[in-house]
Parts: sequence; structure tokens; C-alpha cells
Amino acid sequence: MRNILAIGRREFFAYFGSPVAYIAIAVFLVLLGVTFFFKIPFLLPKEDFFEAKEATLRPLFEWMVFLFTIFLPAISMRLLAEERKMGTLEILLTMPVTETEVVVGKLLGAIGFLAIATGLTLAYPLMVGLLGDPDIGPLAGGYFGVLLVGSSYLAVGLLASSWTRSQIVAFIAAIVICAVFTFIDRLPEALGLHSMEAFNMMSFNHHFRSIARGVIDTRDMVFFFSVIVGSVVLASYSLEARKWR
Amino acid sequence: MIEVSNLTKDYGPIRALEDVSFSVQKGEVVGFLGPNGAGKTTCMKIITGFVAASSGDVAIEGKDVVEHGVEVRSRIGYLPENAPVYTDMTVEEYLAFIATIRDVPADQTAARIEQVARSTGVSDRLDQEIGTLSKGFRQRVGLAQAMIHDPEILVLDEPTSGLDPNQIVEIRAVIKELGKDRTVILSTHNLPEVTATCNRIIIIHRGRIVADGTPDQIQSLHGGGNSFYLEVLEDRGSALQTALQDLPGTRQSSPVEALGEARTAFRLEAEEGVDLRPDLFRRCVEAGLTLVELRQERLDLESIFQRITLQ
Repeated sequence: MRNILAIGRREFFAYFGSPVAYIAIAVFLVLLGVTFFFKIPFLLPKEDFFEAKEATLRPLFEWMVFLFTIFLPAISMRLLAEERKMGTLEILLTMPVTETEVVVGKLLGAIGFLAIATGLTLAYPLMVGLLGDPDIGPLAGGYFGVLLVGSSYLAVGLLASSWTRSQIVAFIAAIVICAVFTFIDRLPEALGLHSMEAFNMMSFNHHFRSIARGVIDTRDMVFFFSVIVGSVVLASYSLEARKWR
Repeated sequence: MIEVSNLTKDYGPIRALEDVSFSVQKGEVVGFLGPNGAGKTTCMKIITGFVAASSGDVAIEGKDVVEHGVEVRSRIGYLPENAPVYTDMTVEEYLAFIATIRDVPADQTAARIEQVARSTGVSDRLDQEIGTLSKGFRQRVGLAQAMIHDPEILVLDEPTSGLDPNQIVEIRAVIKELGKDRTVILSTHNLPEVTATCNRIIIIHRGRIVADGTPDQIQSLHGGGNSFYLEVLEDRGSALQTALQDLPGTRQSSPVEALGEARTAFRLEAEEGVDLRPDLFRRCVEAGLTLVELRQERLDLESIFQRITLQ
């Protein structure tokens, strides 16, 4: 546990040691604010916030999930790829730690960063609160869901980062995986078919929406936890595989 | 203390190590010597558990490095090749991070950092970000990191690479000091380094151990030889030849070599352990030759190393 926390802490502070983190957070907040309060393009159902004349936060969370598919792979790409490239993985893994401890520690560090970035978006609901009167239930549900989706994306990104020494490769692989499994529930629709349960079950967005509605369903929790645990396990294996290469 | 048996490691079609076995006792300072790509680094990576052997095993105090990975690794301090470090941390943050994972008790961390920083000469750089340090200082930080938990075993892959001559002398002194009560395995392709720091040498070539012993043992085993060189004034080749005939203990003498008009040189090989110098001196005096140079020559490690590895 001590090892996990030490690695997590190092990772968390490493983000704030470089300007990249601040830029990423700033871009994320600005994009989110602009799209939330003004025109929300193709993906989202409603008109923009002011036209809708409704103090709902649904579009905010949906848009956050969409931005996360790009923003979080950029956060997770360095986690292991950089260690491989710099050779520091050798320092780390020749200390008395297990591969799983390294992976979990790094994931926690990244989730800490996610929590800060997400926490800053609370400014928007606060503004909405001044203009209207949003329900606290969907608000809490929305944030809970967003953090779950975000943590899952980070876990997937961490897994991608364990495959390669190139951060760009890790970034692109994570975006592709996250985007595919986020929007896969719309695939049948896009093909002109009826929505299919199998695709819904695989979709981050689908599970996210049901949590964001304020309903905590076991199926959704199982989905997110399987993604996170599965990614951690696979990433640990892929670190361990170095031994037999 | 360290038992390495029949290690073989294949990287795809390339065999990096082949049937390497040796054991290291507590308190030994062992130098791995070999050309680049000989398998030194691979061997160290297997000992420290970073890679696994294709066959064979390594045990530390009887514990297998794969099965008891975490426990074994906690007893080793390791400086990997090129001394990788987190460039975004300061020296102190980095050492504190390593100390935490290395299970140094929290109340001793500051004292340990101070101690390793002093012995590696980074005390006045503790607040500096590692990324801004020169190669030599990074190397020292890497060494400090390996020593932070006061390990029984130190594995150092090219500890002095990238250092300037003064720093090399300092780091060698540190390693020597460490070697007094600890087991050290270091690798290098710098020969003066092994003679200066190690009491045992293992020469690895193309993945195999080709020599293993103290520097003296290796010298005498691998044709270290025992030869004598002398030089007399003027061109007195024939006189010299006659004077040195049937010298007891001589094994072989090379032809006289005239170094122009002014001097004549001669080289002869003696049996192991025989010092011919007094006899040579006397013979020259008796023959009326003016001796200007007389020395015993041993084939140095450098030549032995070249002889073994250039085959």
C-alpha cells in the first residue's frame, strides 16, 4: 500500500510539475464552457443552453465524456511509455514492488489529476445554480458517472501506455479504444438499424447515461469496474512480459 | 551469497548469455569485464530480476530471484546502465521517493539522503532538478539511489561511464569503501577500473565466461608471462648475445634488436616466478656492457583482455 501511494503521489505531482497539465486543464475547461453555454454541435440533442431555457446539466456531462475521450488519453499516455523510453522502468521494477502495485499507483495518480480537472468544472453548475435551480441528485449522479467514465478511460489509456515506448502510439491507441467503446451504442442507429442491446452493453456512454440519470444500477457498476480491473490486470501482464522478451 | 547457475538468455534468435555460472561470496567486489554486447548487462538484469533467464537460475542467499522477487530485490541496490532517473524531480525528491519504496523508515530518510548524498558528492545539488544536471551528476544520483537503503548487495552497471577523470577517482573510492562490508558486482570495459576496485574479475565474451579469478590469477593463467627487457649503449649485439647465453631460468630469448647506432635492445622470457634482473645486471657488467634500461614485463590485463576477446 505504501508503495502504491508513493508511486501515485509521484505521478500526481509529476503532472503539476510541467506546464502541459495546466494547458490541458485550461483547454479542457474552455472547450467545455464554450460548448456547454453556446452551440452544442452534432453529438448532443438539445439546442444551446440559453435557447433551451432549462437549467439542465445533462449536456454538460455528455460533452465532458466526449472531451474525455481525447483529453484523458493525453493524460495517460506518458504513464508507462515514458518510463520505458527513459529507462526508469528498470529502476522502478527492480525495487521491491510488484507490477500491479506500479500500475495501480500510476492509475491513482492519474485519477487524482482527473479529480482536480473535474472539480474545476464545478464552476459551471454553480453558474447554472445562479441562473436556475438544478436538482442536486442528477448533479451528484452526473459527477459520479463522469468520474467513473474518466477513471475507466485512464485505465484503458494506462493499458495502451504499457504496450509501447512511444507516447504518441499510446495516445492514439487509447483514443481509438475509448472513442469506439463510447459511441458504439450509436452504431446501429448510424447504419439505420434498431438500437441493439449488445452494443449498448459495450458502450461507455450508455452506462454513463444511466448513472447520470441518478440511477445506480449494478450492471453499470460492474461494467466500469470490469474495465478498470481488466485494464490494470492486462497492463501488469504487459509489464511483466518484458522479462521473457 | 549470490549463486548463478547455468544462465542462458536468448533475445529472439540472438543468444546473449550461454551457460553462465559463478558464485559470489559476501564481501567480494567482482568486476564484469567484456566488450560491448558481451552479455554483462543482460547478466546484471537477470540478477536484479528485471529480465528472466531463458534457462538457469539465480539465487541470493538461497532465494530464487524469480520466485522471491520482492524479497530478493529489497536486498539489492541497482544502478542500471546509463543511470536512468526521473528528470522532473529534484535530487532530494527523487531520493526520498526511492527511499519510501525501498522501505527506509520515514524518520531515517533525511539522514540516509544526507549520507548517500555526501558520499556520492551531490550534497550541494539536492534542490536541483535532475533534468538540469550534467551526465556526471546524474550518474552520481543513480549511484546514490542504489545506496539509499544500505543494501547488502550492489549491482552497478558501468558506474563510472560519463564521468571525468577526477570524478572517476572519487567514485572508485566510494565503491572501494562500499566493498569493505558489502558485496558489489560492477561492470565496465575500462580495465584500470577493475584493477583499482575489484578483487575478482570475470571476463565475459560472446555470452560466455572466459576467465574468472583475481587479477593476479588471470594474469598468470592467461600467458601473463614473465619477460625481461634490457637495453645497452652502442651497437653491441653479438657481445650481448654471448653474455646472456645459458642464463638459468630462461625459457626463450628473442633476437637482439639494434636501435640504431646508439643502443641495442634484448628481450627474454623467463620461467614463472623467476626474477632474472640481478643475473642480467651482473652478466652485462662482466661483459663490459653499459646497461641503460632493465625492466620486468608482465603482460598487463589490457593485453590479456585483447588477446582473449579478439579471437
